[in-house]
Amino acid sequence: MTERLRLSNAVIKYGDVTAVNGVSMTANEGEMIFITGSNGSGKSTLIKAIAGLLPLSSGSLERTGKMSYVPQYEDADRDFPARAFEIVITGTQRHGKLFYTHDDTERALTAMKELGIYDLADKEIRTLSGGQLRRVFLARAICGNPELLLLDEPCAGLDAQSHEVLFNVIRNILSGGCAVVMVTHDISDIDGISEGRIIKISGGRISIQ
Amino acid sequence: MNEVIDLLSYPFVYRALIAGSLISVCASVLGVILVLKHYSLIGHGLSEIGFASLSLSSALKIPAMYVAAPSVFIASFVIMFVSRKYKTAGDIAIAAASSSALAAGIAVSSLTGTASNMSSYLFGSVLAVTENDLLLSVILSFIVISVFIVLYNRLFLITYNEDYARSLGINTAFYQLIISVLTAMIVVAGMKLTGTLLISGVIILPAVTAKIIASGFRSLVIMSGIISFIAFVFGLIASFIFNIPAGAGVILMNTMILIIARVVRLKK
Ligand SMILES: Nc1ncnc2c1ncn2[C@@H]1O[C@H](COP(=O)(O)OP(=O)(O)O)[C@@H](O)[C@H]1O
Ligand SMILES: [Mg+2]
Repeated sequence: MTERLRLSNAVIKYGDVTAVNGVSMTANEGEMIFITGSNGSGKSTLIKAIAGLLPLSSGSLERTGKMSYVPQYEDADRDFPARAFEIVITGTQRHGKLFYTHDDTERALTAMKELGIYDLADKEIRTLSGGQLRRVFLARAICGNPELLLLDEPCAGLDAQSHEVLFNVIRNILSGGCAVVMVTHDISDIDGISEGRIIKISGGRISIQ
Repeated sequence: MNEVIDLLSYPFVYRALIAGSLISVCASVLGVILVLKHYSLIGHGLSEIGFASLSLSSALKIPAMYVAAPSVFIASFVIMFVSRKYKTAGDIAIAAASSSALAAGIAVSSLTGTASNMSSYLFGSVLAVTENDLLLSVILSFIVISVFIVLYNRLFLITYNEDYARSLGINTAFYQLIISVLTAMIVVAGMKLTGTLLISGVIILPAVTAKIIASGFRSLVIMSGIISFIAFVFGLIASFIFNIPAGAGVILMNTMILIIARVVRLKK
């Protein structure tokens, strides 16, 4: 079994504040990992660091394969003049790949179909609801054919039906061999999936594994 | 109308028309990125530095481009670096550095008795556009448009969300550098025609207008280019008719289109 992620003794600081303090974890292909914990426990910080967006103060991070990351909040301008499809297809970009192929277009549309937002493809993102926008970002992550998928609070703003759709999509890509790391503060989000490991963190440390 | 057609028989007029149209279109296309990324100040900062170097070169009696081009390019690197490193402090740094550069330029011009050139640097002059400038504009526009087309998907991605781009393994600093170098090219190419005081308006205004009417990024880029082209041509003609500097005519035309777009949009 291929290991997609190995984090060893990761320490992550914001200035003097230590948000993550010595976390180690791994994720193998086809494996689902939940990271839970209360607000401010360091979950978003941890997953951002796994995504390579925050430097480790100490410890090490190894990743293999293509990664997609869905942030907790999209910090870009909500008012940004782009259509949903324009955003989704960016998920197929990679280092060294500048142009979209026909295949990329197909994959972006398929992902939108799977997430039930195919009809929104030509809509400007400023006209979408919070839940619809979340699904746009999920479609963007999935159409990149990830081998490691990182999700930060993906259920926030989703209704029960979208929640169901999301878990179907996750099951699908797990069976395709993708490793999924999902952050959630709400343990009831996890009910939808039986398999998977739960890591609970509090105060930047793993408390239950 | 006949007067306008007559005007075209002067070589300096068609030079200004071709060079200016090309630069305006390029400037406005880049302007889309600068406006959306809240980098509007960069064009402004670079142009003040351009002004200082034009004053300096005229005082030292060396060809303007030998001083202006390198200083604007160096400044674009510094500005990018500072704004990446210090985020909001970058804005303050640009504003501070650019007004200092403007003051230095004015001081140099006054001290060396070349202040008479100052108005043409600040507000632009169609007469100043030489055959060489025209050639330079054609080459630079070609470079800007080609780079923009080849990197279109990437520039969109980075403009929309840099963090996400980084998570895909893309070197965002490299693309930011490209954006600022392209902006420097446009500032250098457009400086003489529209004036250093107004080039940043040529970069920013069409994108602001296009943002009101366009839907989606691609349409925004195309609209911005079209608006800028129209504003330039009619602004230039107006500047002849009313005998005002070219830069002022072009900017006022842009402002008018912006106001019309806003009003029409509000009515809907
Ligand atoms: N950009 C930041 N600068 C400084 N401190 C931060 C920043 N982001 C988060 N923190 C701090 O790090 C800790 C963990 O935050 P976070 O990872 O967002 O928690 P969670 O996602 O579990 O709610 C909190 O104490 C928070 O205040
Ligand atoms: Mg969080």
